Amino acid sequence: MNLPIIRYVLGYVLKIQALFLLLPCITAFIYQEQEGFFYLATALLCVVIGHLMSFKKPQQQVFYLKEGCVATALSWIILSISGGLPFWLSGEIPLFTDAMFETVSGFTTTGASILNDVEIISKSSLLWRSFTNWIGGMGVLVFLLTIIPLSGGSHMNLMRAESPGPSVGKLVPKIKSTARILYLIYLGLTFLEFILLVAGGMPVFDAIAASFSTAGTGGFGIKNSSMGDYSPYLQWVVTIFMLLFGVNFNAYYLILFHNVKKALHMEEVRWYFSIVGISILIIFFNLLQTVSSAFEALTQSAFQVASIITTTGFSTVDFSQWAESSKVILVLLMFIGGCAGSTSGGIKVSRLVILFKTVVKELNSYIHPKSIVKLKMDGKQVEHEVVRSVNVYFITFMIIFVFSVLLVSLEGADLITSFTAVAATLNNVGPGLELVGPTQNFGHFTLFTKWVLIFDMLAGRLELFPLLILFHSSVWKDSFHSGWRSKKAK
Amino acid sequence: MLGTKKTTKQGLKIIIVGCGKVGSTLVEQLCREGHDITIIDTNSNRIQEITNLYDVMGLTGNGASYSVQVEAGIKATDLLIAVTGSDELNLLCCTVAKQVADCAAIARVRNPDYSKEVGYLRQKLGLAMIINPELEAAREIARILYLPTALEVNSFAHGQAELIQFKIPEGNALDGMTIARLDQNIPIKVLICALEREGQVQIPSGDSVLRAGDVISFVAPRSKIRGFLSNIAVKTHQVKNTMIIGGGKAAYYLASQLLHMGISVKIIEQNKARCEELSLLLPKAIIINGDGTDGELLKEEGIEYTESFVPLTGIDEENIMLTLHARQVSDAKIITKVNRTTFRNVISSLDLGSVIYPRQITSEAIIAYVRAKNDSKNNNIETLYHLFNAQVEAIEFRVDSPSDVTDLPLKDLTLKEQVLIAFINRNGSIIIPSGQDSILVGDTVMVVTTHTGFDDLQDILK
Repeated sequence: MNLPIIRYVLGYVLKIQALFLLLPCITAFIYQEQEGFFYLATALLCVVIGHLMSFKKPQQQVFYLKEGCVATALSWIILSISGGLPFWLSGEIPLFTDAMFETVSGFTTTGASILNDVEIISKSSLLWRSFTNWIGGMGVLVFLLTIIPLSGGSHMNLMRAESPGPSVGKLVPKIKSTARILYLIYLGLTFLEFILLVAGGMPVFDAIAASFSTAGTGGFGIKNSSMGDYSPYLQWVVTIFMLLFGVNFNAYYLILFHNVKKALHMEEVRWYFSIVGISILIIFFNLLQTVSSAFEALTQSAFQVASIITTTGFSTVDFSQWAESSKVILVLLMFIGGCAGSTSGGIKVSRLVILFKTVVKELNSYIHPKSIVKLKMDGKQVEHEVVRSVNVYFITFMIIFVFSVLLVSLEGADLITSFTAVAATLNNVGPGLELVGPTQNFGHFTLFTKWVLIFDMLAGRLELFPLLILFHSSVWKDSFHSGWRSKKAK
Repeated sequence: MLGTKKTTKQGLKIIIVGCGKVGSTLVEQLCREGHDITIIDTNSNRIQEITNLYDVMGLTGNGASYSVQVEAGIKATDLLIAVTGSDELNLLCCTVAKQVADCAAIARVRNPDYSKEVGYLRQKLGLAMIINPELEAAREIARILYLPTALEVNSFAHGQAELIQFKIPEGNALDGMTIARLDQNIPIKVLICALEREGQVQIPSGDSVLRAGDVISFVAPRSKIRGFLSNIAVKTHQVKNTMIIGGGKAAYYLASQLLHMGISVKIIEQNKARCEELSLLLPKAIIINGDGTDGELLKEEGIEYTESFVPLTGIDEENIMLTLHARQVSDAKIITKVNRTTFRNVISSLDLGSVIYPRQITSEAIIAYVRAKNDSKNNNIETLYHLFNAQVEAIEFRVDSPSDVTDLPLKDLTLKEQVLIAFINRNGSIIIPSGQDSILVGDTVMVVTTHTGFDDLQDILK
């Protein structure tokens, strides 16, 4: 295990965090808020520690998969701790666990909150909350790859650990250019949404926060009613952009640089939009029985479906009150999630497509036991290794899910609450049903449950294994031994 | 990309088809020089391994297929390098690429059937370069056998000048001499451009002292080399006979060159059918059908008396063992071919004498081409050699137009540390430069340096 390189990367992560923290500082300056000082203090602390950690450039700059995973998992933990400090220090969120929950929820683009009333929170903190959604959406290490001065080429292992999806590919040969393209697409779309929101009459501050939260598919609202009080035009803009951020970013690259046709033929994207369409339709018909106007029913169903499938977690109505079948659809959508290579959470459409095809293949093998069929996606063979890892991912996901539900249920809440609380955090959605529904929050849980959910959020965002590897004994044994050896060498 | 203009040099877009030994060496080196590389191979595991290690994009598929090439972005590519195991596939890759896009193409072609037609193929198919590692290795071995004292011989300026590497023997005149005194004591002018002592390589200055056991590299016009070596009392005659173990392609190329130089050749090959082929191809050579690792057979065929011994089997370990064996039983000049570069440190500690790495020769030739192609400015790279386990580069630049380095006496140029101008080739005559000489347009200039990545003559300036 190459500990110096991990230390070096973590140092850079802290320095970047300091840079990010300047945004709430500026906000505080504009709105003349006291909380700004806590952000400034945290930023300074991050710079100092970060600089100390990345002062010495390690000689051995090779990243293997395990270093990539450990560095990624630790980065996210460090980001969450340092990002939560200002909430805690300023007293806006008095409990440390709550502050951690809120930041982890932000960075993992979950959007689950422990705050009862967000409207009393300072503007700088509100913007910081939304900004963490934005940062977490694309990932910090991908951003790091565009600026960190590392030689050696094995950075793919960093990107692989952080990017969602069963197999990570590059857009162009150099990872630096790939990361830059991804960030530019991300920035461009975010900016476009901001413009459209402002054009629709949304106040600038609200528009910035909403764009950040939508882009990262996070879903932190700055109003207690989430998106409920905005005009239908604004709701539709947000709906469309939520859906757009749930699409594989490769599609945008293809549209921008190659051909639109190829982008439209991406199998995953087609499945994604089909699922969205069908879900909207079913819920629309369900809603027609209670909502008077068809347009309003369509707006409501489209918004909620987009919000849940992309795991954003905004809401315009309290869908806890909806018909049972609509609620079931929403819960299922939580698990599906968006496309691989997007900013959304969940299991991801492409994984489910592969799983579905595996099942069909298995059925075929009962009819023609000796037939040989290779799985294909986009007309290309899916490697056996990918299929295997998708299967293992699904199983691991279910194991974590079941155990989390078990642990959460210890507090005695009803089954729907426990079930959807875990589903909403592990899939990085945000709101669940009943006690954790869109109008409720996670504040009433015990500390233990909150830590379980914090773990679930991180596991969901990092796609399980980079986080789980931290619990592998050999990672720690290795570090202990190498640390001991280097001390001895001195 | 996306309008972000980089201040540093933009690399070329390169597609490499085939990720075998040469392919992966190329990826490693070209990646270090900052090019945008896409690799194509049919073996997806290979692709996976390489993309994990290096910053390149991988694509599984047949590199000669039009659609695969298009997917790899052939239309925007500057250079396609085909180094799969099959000559025909390599040529087809390049042909397809030339039809689709306006890019340069390099193919590896090893079969002796084609090697005579390289010029024709190159011209008709419009290829930038055809490389043949076995032939190049054979050429290098032949050059060393021509001057057996040398560990390595590289030629520059179309064979006008040579860079000779040799080890200073005990009790030699050079032992204890400074380089400045060397110039006064020996009438024939040569330039010592690199010095290796205990694994450390440096570019020596005037007051560096030479010691027995040092490995030095010097540059001299070809005609002067023997004169210089006899001046310092080193044997210079070429070998009269040679024994080659293994009858592969490299052995064939080597044998035909040696026979041409009048050196008698004995080849020991295990495969009867191959022996018969070789005897048809090389009527003058003695072809022995037998196991080259059999000590008795080697003795019977006179390993003790042969003047040179070249193990060219396909297995590195066998070659190395044969070399060690031959060193024990005879005084022959031995040249070892080693394919894998992984264990270079071990091999150099074994003190095998001359070691040839065909893979490295191939990648050097391609890298020299790539650097020259990448260079948009005036000067161009003619040849590039890696010396002392790639710790030193010897680069020959062509000077096409005036720049900061031309028309000034060399003593007025502020060169970087560890940079040496080894010779200037002016209209075919080799000038070993002194401070008064200057570089003119139309010259080619050889620079020896421990820096890597020079692709312009102006890089030598501070």
